[in-house]
Amino acid sequence: MKNEKMLLIPKIDLGIVVDHIPAGMGIKILEIISQYEEIKEVPVSLGLNYESRRLGKKDLIKLQMEFLSPEIIQHISIVAPGVTVKAIKDYKVHSKVVVKAPQEIRNLLECKNPNCITNVEKHVETHFVSLGKDCKQVRCEYCERVFDLNELHTLVD
Amino acid sequence: MKKDLISMEDLTLDEVKDYLVTAARVEEASLEERVKLLPGRIMAALFFEPSTRTRLSFESAMHRLGGSVIGFAAKDATSVSKGESFTDTIHTVESYSDILVIRHPGEGTGRLAAKESFLPVINAGDGSNQHPTQTLLDLYTIQKDLGKIEGLKIAFVGDLKYSRTVHSLIRALMMFNVTDFTLVAPESLRLPAHFMRTGQPGKFTFHETEHLEEAIRTSDVLYMTRIQRERFPDILEYEKVKDSYVLTAEMLEEAQEHMRVLHPLPRVNEIAYDVDKTKFAGYFPQARNGVIMRQAIILKHLGVSI
Ligand SMILES: [Zn+2]
Repeated sequence: MKNEKMLLIPKIDLGIVVDHIPAGMGIKILEIISQYEEIKEVPVSLGLNYESRRLGKKDLIKLQMEFLSPEIIQHISIVAPGVTVKAIKDYKVHSKVVVKAPQEIRNLLECKNPNCITNVEKHVETHFVSLGKDCKQVRCEYCERVFDLNELHTLVD
Repeated sequence: MKKDLISMEDLTLDEVKDYLVTAARVEEASLEERVKLLPGRIMAALFFEPSTRTRLSFESAMHRLGGSVIGFAAKDATSVSKGESFTDTIHTVESYSDILVIRHPGEGTGRLAAKESFLPVINAGDGSNQHPTQTLLDLYTIQKDLGKIEGLKIAFVGDLKYSRTVHSLIRALMMFNVTDFTLVAPESLRLPAHFMRTGQPGKFTFHETEHLEEAIRTSDVLYMTRIQRERFPDILEYEKVKDSYVLTAEMLEEAQEHMRVLHPLPRVNEIAYDVDKTKFAGYFPQARNGVIMRQAIILKHLGVSI
């Protein structure tokens, strides 16, 4: 079973696998990571609707690169907490992290308050703090306004 | 490590109480003792928008402690937006002084200055966000006038929807176990509903009324605020409500003996001049307490004990 699955998407000796993406979210996550300059030249494969014991169906993304930056992992964490990021070396899982909903989000989201200083002095890194474990609501560390996470735009868009 | 005063949200109850204790010590000390506390120290008062009262209060506080003041006060909120960035101004001025006091129309400027600068930063108002020194002086005034804060019945009158002062003070009073609030506001300027859902269910009661008389009879503190004409989309609506929120001396006959009328000032017409002569008028002493509290704040944040 396991080998069959691996055949659907090229096996890699060195790379990153973003695994356990809830089915349907794969394309969204691929869109997100494609915005980053460091991904531009990297061979990427996307797998959709694989069977998963945990999720029923899952998506996954393989990237032929050694290291996924904290910025990208942070960005993934706000749209799909719970995904697993695996580093592959010599065809084996070398390390694995389960991406959690972030407690703090730095330099990724744009504050919606037009009077917030982060919208005036654009060189200032934005900083939001999650109000609960699930990161559904966040507070701007500067103007202290509270927003639903899904109403905020990201700076890389 | 340097200590900033940016937001009431950063403070624990013990820290708030510590400011009140320090202010009481400042008040007990003689003028001669106080003026020896900060010789040679310089406070930079950076007022990116005009706020004459707050600026004079801070300047007076620093002079009372024997220190001196440099700084600027913008004529209007926009005149400084051209030219140098806010962070560059902070980095320039920090080499001229020992403590920064900042007033700015942009929200989050206090926090930003605190992160950028190696000096202690005091937020003297950042847009409609925070004005912690006002809240601390209000708490000090209530404690001084009424002997305590916990358990008092406090009424807020006027613009309860937009007033930063009111929101911040209500949150602070909740920390002090003030549980009984009376809110007197026109329909369109009521306190945002999320305040009434804060804390353990049933712990806090908010009694909303449009009748000022009722609040006068039952409260220990009557906290008045301005109702600004600009807040009303319809000028007729403003004309209709504005007089129902004007306090006169005659109305105070029903008040309890110890009741105090407070107001962050400046007033427009919500407190008639005949109230000034009554024993209930607490707003001018409140302004005096502002200078006391700001002395306490400057001392604490410069690490000088009294
Ligand atoms: Zn903000």
